[in-house]
Amino acid sequence: MYLNDLNPSVKALTIAGLVFILAFLFDPITPFLYLIFVIGVTFLFGRFNKKHYLLYFSPFFIFAFGMLWTTLAFADAPSNPEQIIAVLWWEFPREDLFIAVSLSLRVLAFAVLSLLFIFTTDMVHFVLSLIQQLKLPPKLAYGVLAGYRFLPMLKTEFQQIRAAHRIRGVSQAKTIQGKVGQWKRLAIPLLAGAIRKAERTAVAMESKGFTGNRNRTYFHQFTVTKKDWLFPIFMFTALGLVILVSVKLGYFNIYDGEL
Amino acid sequence: MNEPIIMTKHLSVSYEEVEEPALNDINLSIEKGSTWLILGPSGAGKSTFIHCLNGLFPRELDGEMSGHVYVNGKDTRDYHPGEISRHIGIVFQDPDTQFCMLTVEDEIAFGLENLSTPLEKMEELITESLKLVGLEHYRKSDISTLSGGEKQKLALACVLAMKPDVLILDEPTSNLDPCTAEIFTQILHRLKAQLGITLIVIEHKIEEWTELVQHSAILNQNGELFYQGTLRDGVTEHASSLKKLGVWLPYATREALKTASPLSKLPMTIDELSFKPEIVHPSDGYRGQQLLQTDNLSWHASKQKILDSVHLDIFQNEFVAIVGPNGSGKTTLSLLLAGIHSPNRGSIHLKGRPLGEWREDNLRNVIGYVFQNPEHQFITDSVFEEVAYSLKLTNKEENEVREVVFQTLKEYNLEGLENRNPFQLSQGQKRRLSVAAMTVMDQELLILDEPTFGQDWNTTERLMDVLQDKNSKGKTIVMITHDMELVDRFATRVLVMEKGKVKIDKKPDKLWKQGDLSRYHLNLPPRIQAERMRLPYVSK
Repeated sequence: MYLNDLNPSVKALTIAGLVFILAFLFDPITPFLYLIFVIGVTFLFGRFNKKHYLLYFSPFFIFAFGMLWTTLAFADAPSNPEQIIAVLWWEFPREDLFIAVSLSLRVLAFAVLSLLFIFTTDMVHFVLSLIQQLKLPPKLAYGVLAGYRFLPMLKTEFQQIRAAHRIRGVSQAKTIQGKVGQWKRLAIPLLAGAIRKAERTAVAMESKGFTGNRNRTYFHQFTVTKKDWLFPIFMFTALGLVILVSVKLGYFNIYDGEL
Repeated sequence: MNEPIIMTKHLSVSYEEVEEPALNDINLSIEKGSTWLILGPSGAGKSTFIHCLNGLFPRELDGEMSGHVYVNGKDTRDYHPGEISRHIGIVFQDPDTQFCMLTVEDEIAFGLENLSTPLEKMEELITESLKLVGLEHYRKSDISTLSGGEKQKLALACVLAMKPDVLILDEPTSNLDPCTAEIFTQILHRLKAQLGITLIVIEHKIEEWTELVQHSAILNQNGELFYQGTLRDGVTEHASSLKKLGVWLPYATREALKTASPLSKLPMTIDELSFKPEIVHPSDGYRGQQLLQTDNLSWHASKQKILDSVHLDIFQNEFVAIVGPNGSGKTTLSLLLAGIHSPNRGSIHLKGRPLGEWREDNLRNVIGYVFQNPEHQFITDSVFEEVAYSLKLTNKEENEVREVVFQTLKEYNLEGLENRNPFQLSQGQKRRLSVAAMTVMDQELLILDEPTFGQDWNTTERLMDVLQDKNSKGKTIVMITHDMELVDRFATRVLVMEKGKVKIDKKPDKLWKQGDLSRYHLNLPPRIQAERMRLPYVSK
């Protein structure tokens, strides 16, 4: 059984729920344990390119590390300055270090949960499941899908317009006013093209009988089966256990406006 | 006599912002199982007409529609939204913007889902329609990986799966190279024989449709129905008016029109041509000094080789045509030659100096480049400013600039439009303006990426006149095109590209003698076809 085969809506709601709960917890141990658990689940039960995962994870890691450092460097004066923890050859007030580590681990926990979803879910299937399970209006959903196809086209078009302007002798603007003008010049043909393309696509969709109402069948049918419920049960139980461990160790803390 | 499957009665459409109606009192009756060509110059309301047929007017689009359209005897206003798609299917012109899903089978399924087709039936219909167009091996493919021709076949499959009574094709082959276009029309021939479907083709070129189509309706510039009847009578009896309208007449008709007396019967296809067509091929002319030289030129995008070690010399006063299949690297080569992209490997020398060492503004005074999409090049708010832009950069006197601009506008048939916004011009005007704005600096080398794409006869002729005039004054022209007739009439040299390499580099008349043109997705220009057909008689 793979994460990829789960119902995308169930998966998305579970992730959202977990993120919501994690946002209220404020101690280093809970997010740390859960982080490791989520990475483990992703790698054990997900089918995806593992190298890409590292690539996507690294910016989050750098961001979390930056957060750790800035929180430490700009921390408020601790209420218990005598409690010190030594890390390698630095010494930090225990309280500051806890806050900093909690914050950055929390960011990482959010990140791995999102990556779990992104790496094991087909974008199209997600949108289709949103229509079928969460009653997203088809008009909106198919619009999103069509837009998804457009993004690479817009990028190519932008490059073409820029090249075209360059050879007309449009030089790099130096003043702010000039820069605004330059962006306007680029934006108008880009938007004109995008609107025309969007209209053509809309006409094509309608000529294939698309009306936007829910009265349609589905080639990819998404249903919620018993095994889909295993995922939220499994994930929330694990979070409960992690919280229990952290309570037992005496670290557990609910967010209370501290920073 | 079959009953009409589509009938329009006093159909008129007008848009709010425009005074003249787009369609004016159209009364047309199309029989079940017949094949029609709807002809008209660009801007004659052909697209508006299709939108009326499938019920987008008056329901979805802005604009006033009066009169009636009957599909299968029922007024389109009385159909439920989406219901007409069971009767009328449309393949559009642009292969990229008519899809909304990511894979081939999902796209076909999309139409079937809209019709609430049960899942078990969908499988069968998808398989069947892919087989009809010959795409059965692409079922799971990503649409973005398909070529232009394959995308058009997919668009056709999507519509066929929905089993419409009428198939409408809106300039379906205008984005395709000659060979791919021919394959596409062959599929239509087969479909017609197999399914007996009613076929309506919207076009401004007649040539490739003469075999398939029996009837035609011709719209004029004012959106009026100028003719309806058999295609042959339409073409041969109204040839000179059609030519004036800007419709691309078949080659044979055009040639005969030059010499024929007003009373003689005009031919429509090449084999009916009763005389040897005149050769309008340019004289070899003199070839000047070496202008541009490339050495081992290569370019790749994300590991995919687009251009593979190209060695090329371009001389002054040449008229070079670059031809070849879609995706063979023609545009990339032209962008590199113009110094817009830099090569990954290899070098380009302009007048003996590496391209990279040229200052941008000096380079632009020597090389001009016209993009395929004219809108991309517009940078000002008025036609006058557009042409004046480059001139003003050179610190010319105001009076002198005005004089040159008006002279140029006249040359390109754009007089009286100088205060209009470039984006509000018609297709043909936009194209002419983009070339005018680019050539106003009188560059020595002009590179054009499919300048005649989507243009009607009048704009194409005007454009080619200007280019030939420049060429005769010593300028060098490099032009990408799919139109072998233009190659035959204007080029002094032709480069055939395939898979990122320049495979053939010769004079056009030598190229026509080559046996394997279809390998490069090329066809023979009509003049040569006509000559070949006459050959046995000539030799007698």
